[in-house]
Amino acid sequence: MRGRPGRGVMDFDPGVITRNLSYLLWGRLAEGDPGGLLLTILMAVSAGALALVAGVGFALAAWRCPGTIRRLLFLSADLIRGIPLIFIIFWLYFLLPALLGGDVPGAAPVILALAWFSSAAVMYSTLAGLEALPKGQREAALASGLSEGQALRWVLLPQTLRNVMPSYVALLVSLVKDTSLAFIVNVTELSTLAGQVNNRTQLYPMEIFLFTAALYFLLCRAVSLAGGRLARLRH
Amino acid sequence: MGFHLDWSGVLAGAPLHWLVTGLVTTLAVTLAASLLATVLAVGLLGLRVADNRLARGAARTIVALFRDTPLLVQILFWYFAAFGLLPGGVRDWINADHPWAVLPANVPLISPEFLAATWGLGVFSAVFIAEEIRAGLQALSPGQREAALSQGFGHWSALYHVLLPQALANAYQPTVGQYLNLMKLSSLATAIGLAEITYQVRQIESFNAHAVEAFAAGTLLYLLLGVVLGRLLLAIGPSGAGGRTSEERQADARPAGEGRHGL
Repeated sequence: MRGRPGRGVMDFDPGVITRNLSYLLWGRLAEGDPGGLLLTILMAVSAGALALVAGVGFALAAWRCPGTIRRLLFLSADLIRGIPLIFIIFWLYFLLPALLGGDVPGAAPVILALAWFSSAAVMYSTLAGLEALPKGQREAALASGLSEGQALRWVLLPQTLRNVMPSYVALLVSLVKDTSLAFIVNVTELSTLAGQVNNRTQLYPMEIFLFTAALYFLLCRAVSLAGGRLARLRH
Repeated sequence: MGFHLDWSGVLAGAPLHWLVTGLVTTLAVTLAASLLATVLAVGLLGLRVADNRLARGAARTIVALFRDTPLLVQILFWYFAAFGLLPGGVRDWINADHPWAVLPANVPLISPEFLAATWGLGVFSAVFIAEEIRAGLQALSPGQREAALSQGFGHWSALYHVLLPQALANAYQPTVGQYLNLMKLSSLATAIGLAEITYQVRQIESFNAHAVEAFAAGTLLYLLLGVVLGRLLLAIGPSGAGGRTSEERQADARPAGEGRHGL
């Protein structure tokens, strides 16, 4: 299992990558079962969208309802950030089928766990963004006849989302990396498949894990770049 | 839903013994990796603030490589690929029995799993710790370093005696957060078979199917560890790190650019 003697950096063999390239990139897509890098992207995007909606929602709730609701939101966010992400995946993986009482596709509990975990960070960033706006923004909106809700919706939130964009992008990069934890419940995203190929071929851990790391690196960089572009575009 | 909770399947007999072993292993790997991460982070910071452009570029590259790839893939790489590059004699020595390096509850400290997990966690966390402290450094005036150098401090002693204490005071809480994160991330070492808490929880689950009880025990252990570790680190931290002084906040409020450290 662990690196055989006699195979050093010099014996680097890219053949194992080319032989398994399509499997690592999109898994068994032809059989209607996306995997590999493609599934990693799908999971990150869907978990990211859910986390954004939920996190901004939590932030608005905490903003509008100081007191008990705000404290409860903070408490649950701290709780969720206080345990390893693997355990949130465990919990949802076991509880979701029990709650829904049926077949749950393997990736769904992982996506929900990632979204839940990230929504706490989205909430904190968004709330910090809302609180960093000059007080005059809200007062001016109210003075010009908008209600509290309208002021939030049309004046405060758009500015906040724009200001907080860089931290959303950073969170999405984290999310891309965190999808690798799906290995714990054998969802066939990139890391799980890399482990599979390594177990099957035995001789090429260097090639396989360097290539896998390179794919994640490029994906994370692409997300950062695209996010940076978007943030500048909207300014 | 009618879960019937039966704690005897987790808190007695072999499962209890496994949980204790897991807790000791998690504590040991967290401590070892934290020490390694601290040393590496200081080294990385030294490169980051160096006058030499090559040194700064090297530090930036290291940060980018380890920050933009998943820790899991890094741990798998160290364990499966890098371990094989060690000379045969070293590998044999690591794989051999070391009765003197076994913690209570039968936790071996010299094994490929423990060393790969410690190294992987240490390197990954060092990058994040160094970045938090660098944010604390940026709030300092460049005069701090210049004054230290003109007083005869060398590059490293200026960093260690003058810059680091102030940067740490500025960025203590986020830095503590990174050490707590390291503790939680040690759960990933289950992927290479290190018998820490997460590994043991899965073992109990496949042993007697007490999944909910086992997950609850694991969740509580991590929460407890986090609270204790957090309290401990905040207690030994620089005074005023919890609530910052008004002076420090003013320092932060300086216009961007002015407080830059030329990093």
